[in-house]
Amino acid sequence: MKNKKSNGTAENVVETQDLTKAFGEEVAVQSLNMYVPRGKIFGFIGPSGCGKTTTVRLLTGFYEPTSGTARVLGKDPVRFSKSDREKIGYLIQQFVLYPELTVWENLNFAASFYGVSPFRRGRLHKLMDFVELAEDSGKLARDLSGGMKRRLSLAATLVHNPQLLFLDEPTAGIDPILRRKFWDYFKELQEEGHTLFITTQYVGEAAYCDLVGVMYEGRLLMVETPGNLRKKAYGGDVIAIKTTEGTRFEQRKQLESLPFVHGKVIMVSDQEVDVIVDDASTAIQALLEWAQEQKLNVETIEEKFLPFDDVFVKIIERETAHV
Amino acid sequence: MFKFLIRISSFLTKEWTEIFRQPRLILTLILGPFLIMFLFGLAYPDQNRSLRTTFVTTNPSAFQEEMNVFTEAYSSTIIDQGIETDKALALSKLALNETDLVIVIPDAPFETIQQNQQAVLEVYHNEVDPFQIGYIQTIANIYVNEVNRGILQTVTEQGQADSGSIQSSLEEAITKTQALKQAIPPGDANTATQVEALEKSLTAAHENLTTFRTLSSGVLVNPFGVDIKGLSNVQFTVTGFFAPSVIALLLQHLSITFASLSIVRESRSGIMELFRVAPITAFETLIGKFISYLFFEIILAGVITTLAILVLGIPILGPWLDYAVAVVILLFTSLGVGFLISLISETDTQAVQYSMLLLLASIFFSGFFLDLRLMWEPIKVLAWSLPATYGIRMFQDIMLRGSTVSPMLFQGIALIGIALFLIDWFLLRRRMEG
Repeated sequence: MKNKKSNGTAENVVETQDLTKAFGEEVAVQSLNMYVPRGKIFGFIGPSGCGKTTTVRLLTGFYEPTSGTARVLGKDPVRFSKSDREKIGYLIQQFVLYPELTVWENLNFAASFYGVSPFRRGRLHKLMDFVELAEDSGKLARDLSGGMKRRLSLAATLVHNPQLLFLDEPTAGIDPILRRKFWDYFKELQEEGHTLFITTQYVGEAAYCDLVGVMYEGRLLMVETPGNLRKKAYGGDVIAIKTTEGTRFEQRKQLESLPFVHGKVIMVSDQEVDVIVDDASTAIQALLEWAQEQKLNVETIEEKFLPFDDVFVKIIERETAHV
Repeated sequence: MFKFLIRISSFLTKEWTEIFRQPRLILTLILGPFLIMFLFGLAYPDQNRSLRTTFVTTNPSAFQEEMNVFTEAYSSTIIDQGIETDKALALSKLALNETDLVIVIPDAPFETIQQNQQAVLEVYHNEVDPFQIGYIQTIANIYVNEVNRGILQTVTEQGQADSGSIQSSLEEAITKTQALKQAIPPGDANTATQVEALEKSLTAAHENLTTFRTLSSGVLVNPFGVDIKGLSNVQFTVTGFFAPSVIALLLQHLSITFASLSIVRESRSGIMELFRVAPITAFETLIGKFISYLFFEIILAGVITTLAILVLGIPILGPWLDYAVAVVILLFTSLGVGFLISLISETDTQAVQYSMLLLLASIFFSGFFLDLRLMWEPIKVLAWSLPATYGIRMFQDIMLRGSTVSPMLFQGIALIGIALFLIDWFLLRRRMEG
């Protein structure tokens, strides 16, 4: 499924064309077409086992594709040279660093195997400050909490200052406050010029991304901005109208016949209806005028930002119905 | 090149830190082998096994006086537990492990000998170990020789005492022959020649008898003795002899254990996925690991050797440089074996099992206990594929014989080491680079 056309190779750090990976009979990733522009946060969202990690492994050169192509930083990942690999940071789902080493020693080890110059103390201290582990630098990794381990892993991923970061479920299994903090880190990294490719099961995290790829059963259903994702899910923006006296059947029918309104009006309660429109910014004024004509006393009218969980479910329902 | 050095240094720091973070492990690694050697020395003091022996004779009163011929022979090895008249009772004591040997003396042995027949001693044991059976056979043969020698010595002493009267008779005969020679008429040349020959024969017999009487009975019965000397001119204790073998075996085992757990643990933890994506190659990883473990184990070998020399008094008669070379090549090849195990094992448990199997094979086939020259030729291929086999030979040569490293042994183990490094590299590359 082709979701989007490339907008110029020079700007894209990741591009795939019909990228497919099968393990025997089982197809883990099917005909993936996408691009990731430089300097963006690309969220790769989907349920567990949908092919997110396989995609990351294909893009890091860990797996060779069964068919199709992938270009990462302009190169085929399978044929990455050492210098290509130095431009990439990869955060693995589980904690893989050494439990018997301290935070500092683990970071130092990661720096060495990425070939970072021995004069790196300053950078390592900066990184520990960034992930807020400076005070725990002497702690053994085995004594760290789950969240601290994730932060240490993130620091180890950043140790060689990579251009492109592949973060495989960095927020999995950690509390909402820390998750929020992680997204703050990611935003900071983006501001520093890094491109981030982040997989997550938490659909709500889509809101923090510039682009979101929705993955389901090995297929990329769509790549959109978070706002467009909502639109795609419902066929437009959702506007919630609350009136003091409620709407009659004829009025709702009339609403549905308006040119900028799509589909049926959804009755949320006696006083409240949801209307799907092309563009919420222009439709709100038009709807207020219509209500005035109908002598309806509008209590509130606003764009409804549905939770991404609902958006995601809607997209899956729509796409599976298609199939 | 600079980045290559930085990458391999990552393992040096990491492996060392991980090991030194476990002080108990280090203590065990240093003191463990030393204690094993020390206990080994205590367990096998330098003396042959003495055998508790019960003698059986149906009629002890018949030759009470001669009995010491049997009970005192080879007394350092035979411990007399007394005489039994009932053979069945003596054998039941043997079965109950109350005695180690039962020697049955035949009825009227001296009469049997006088009738020109061998008196056969029956020797019973209850051993199952072929080496112990061999030991008893040797002891039994030495014992019978001792008994025979004792009897011969007694007979000789008796003969020497009895020969006094014969010597006097001979002297008298010589005197009479000389008188007879004087009495022969000058023209009777034939008789003179015969008497002269008789005189010569009597004189020779007299001289021989004098020699027989003047020589001690011990020299007469045992004219030749034996004085065994080794080229190294140093007397080794059991600990001294086994020390090079124990050091070689332990160094091999430590290297294999460390290396075998190294890569398999990383594969299990998932960091191998990171290695595959990172700019580090299989060659850099392997070199890094080899160097880090090699350095650590060289220090370990140094401490163990120093303790063996200072505390156990084990000598190093050969050149120190050769000893160092032998240690390094043994460690290098053993690490190669360990990494191979690590690369073919799926779990830690499997790696430990393979290492233990290899240790067992090394104990049996490296010449640690049994001489390799006794081994069936085809099995020698297995023996010479173990680093410990080369290690033991090289260490024995250098430490006990005072020689240098045998080029043949060095080339053999180095060849295995290089081959293992290449195989390890190939397997790790397949794992890391797909």
